[in-house]
Amino acid sequence: MSKALIIDDEQQMRRLLRMLLESRGYEVCEANEGQHGLQEAAFHRPDVVLLDLGLPGLGGLEVLRRLREWSDVPVLILSVRDQEATKVQALEIGADDYVTKPFGSAELLARLNVIQRRRGPRHTPEIIAGPLKVDLLHHEAQIADEVLKLTPTEFALLKVLTEHAGRIVTQNQIVKQVWAGQSSDPSEGLRVHINHLRKKLGDRGIRIVNEPGIGYRLEAE
Amino acid sequence: MPVHVVGQFSCGLTILFVLASLCWVLLPYTGSTFSALVFLLAIVLAGTRWNRGPVLAMGVVSALVWNFIFIPPRFTLHIEKPEDVIMFGMFFVVALSMGHLITQLRERESALERTHREHEQLQEAKHRAELAAEAERLHRTLLDSVSHELKTPITIIRTALDGLGTANPFAAEIDTATRRLQRIVENFLEITRVESDAVKPAPDWCEFLDVIHSATSPLQRELLPHTLRIIVAENLPLLKLDNRLLSQALANVLQNATQHVPAGSEIEIHAALTPESALEIRVHDHGPGLPPEMEERVFEKFARAPGAPAGGTGLGLAISRGLMRAMKGDITVRNHPEGGAEFLLRIERVSQLVPSGSDSPQTPKTS
Repeated sequence: MSKALIIDDEQQMRRLLRMLLESRGYEVCEANEGQHGLQEAAFHRPDVVLLDLGLPGLGGLEVLRRLREWSDVPVLILSVRDQEATKVQALEIGADDYVTKPFGSAELLARLNVIQRRRGPRHTPEIIAGPLKVDLLHHEAQIADEVLKLTPTEFALLKVLTEHAGRIVTQNQIVKQVWAGQSSDPSEGLRVHINHLRKKLGDRGIRIVNEPGIGYRLEAE
Repeated sequence: MPVHVVGQFSCGLTILFVLASLCWVLLPYTGSTFSALVFLLAIVLAGTRWNRGPVLAMGVVSALVWNFIFIPPRFTLHIEKPEDVIMFGMFFVVALSMGHLITQLRERESALERTHREHEQLQEAKHRAELAAEAERLHRTLLDSVSHELKTPITIIRTALDGLGTANPFAAEIDTATRRLQRIVENFLEITRVESDAVKPAPDWCEFLDVIHSATSPLQRELLPHTLRIIVAENLPLLKLDNRLLSQALANVLQNATQHVPAGSEIEIHAALTPESALEIRVHDHGPGLPPEMEERVFEKFARAPGAPAGGTGLGLAISRGLMRAMKGDITVRNHPEGGAEFLLRIERVSQLVPSGSDSPQTPKTS
């Protein structure tokens, strides 16, 4: 059974999230402000944290920063629209994904599932997302057993996106991993390669979805 | 030469003439030294108000007049006695240096005053800018907190409804109403942002199909009864624009179209670059089109076409126009010759980047 920690200042929101998560078999603990949230995280060792960005007092970003000093528990950000810059900041501090209020339960549960599946040591040189298989040993990618002809940059890009399949990756995170941050106009190069990669992936059940102002998400059917 | 300086010259000469006449009358009682002092006094007084040119001219003229009239032999410039020559020389030097010193002092004072005034104006402008920034910050904070306060209950209702399931027809009604409420709240917040110039475009390279995707994915429900045809020019390059703002402007136009056309009808999106590198997006519906003279009015706040279905906020298109104008573009509408309304979203001079066929020279990090 997974344990979830909800850090949100709205009591009703916490109660509802608790009901929703408990109905899906989660064990739930909650905190109404940041400091308390950090204590709960240390005490209960949750498997996933739902963190509201708009906390009073110790803000969501600061809570995340302090949490990341000692824990790599998956964190889902609960945010409102028009906080793009803050969302990007949160993702780059180490949040795993975000949902935007008002969100649907299905979306929330799906995101929670994806971020809990991530990480853990990799024992095979293969990353699989739906029909897509990225073979790190042979530097090769296949969709439904058909080998894609990729340039080294496109392969590196696809690798990063597939590792995070279903999760958002910010533009900066991609640039850092693919170009080691060395690029005159990262945005431009990234778009160009995403464009090529999308053409090569075609319409075969793998989509690279852009989230304006934030980054990309690889979605497999 | 400025008019007031000419005025000072003539005024100065007149004063000298009057004083000379006066001193001539008083000469039997006072002697010539008195008239020299009177002239000097006049020069000093003139120096406190007038420009340097007229004052120095007064100095020269008064020296000559004094010599001509008051130093014997009278009515010639010739001076007989050596002490009178010295007197004349001293008068000349004193008159000129007094005039010079006093005007210089005054010029310095006024320059000081000017810089002081400029400094004050600068301070005032800075203060005003600080106040404006503070007002904007407050405005934004207020908007954020209002946004938070309004959206939290909507989120709670929606999450609760999700838990309830929409099998119950009453719950389905609440769900529809909640979505409508959410749209209204979002529209009101957005029009407030647009009208208070809080919308700042952040252009970045993007693929046009991403714009269409961002615009249509929140409208899946509304678009479901319609056929959406997307006709985008082949090989559209990467464009530098604010994807978020443009897709929102486009989404509002699409949303508006879904409300005004019969279910099952087609909505077309055409996008192309003009030779002048303006981006043109046309949204053509096959509805009844616009009533005459509504072409401009539809973009006004709360403008509603007669016979428009209930449920709209009358803000969507006003927001679209606000967003387009924030991006230095515009939105217009006309009735298409083949029927239906056609909205045109246009942004001038969009930077383009044609993705080349080969890998770019940037070297990938070896992994």
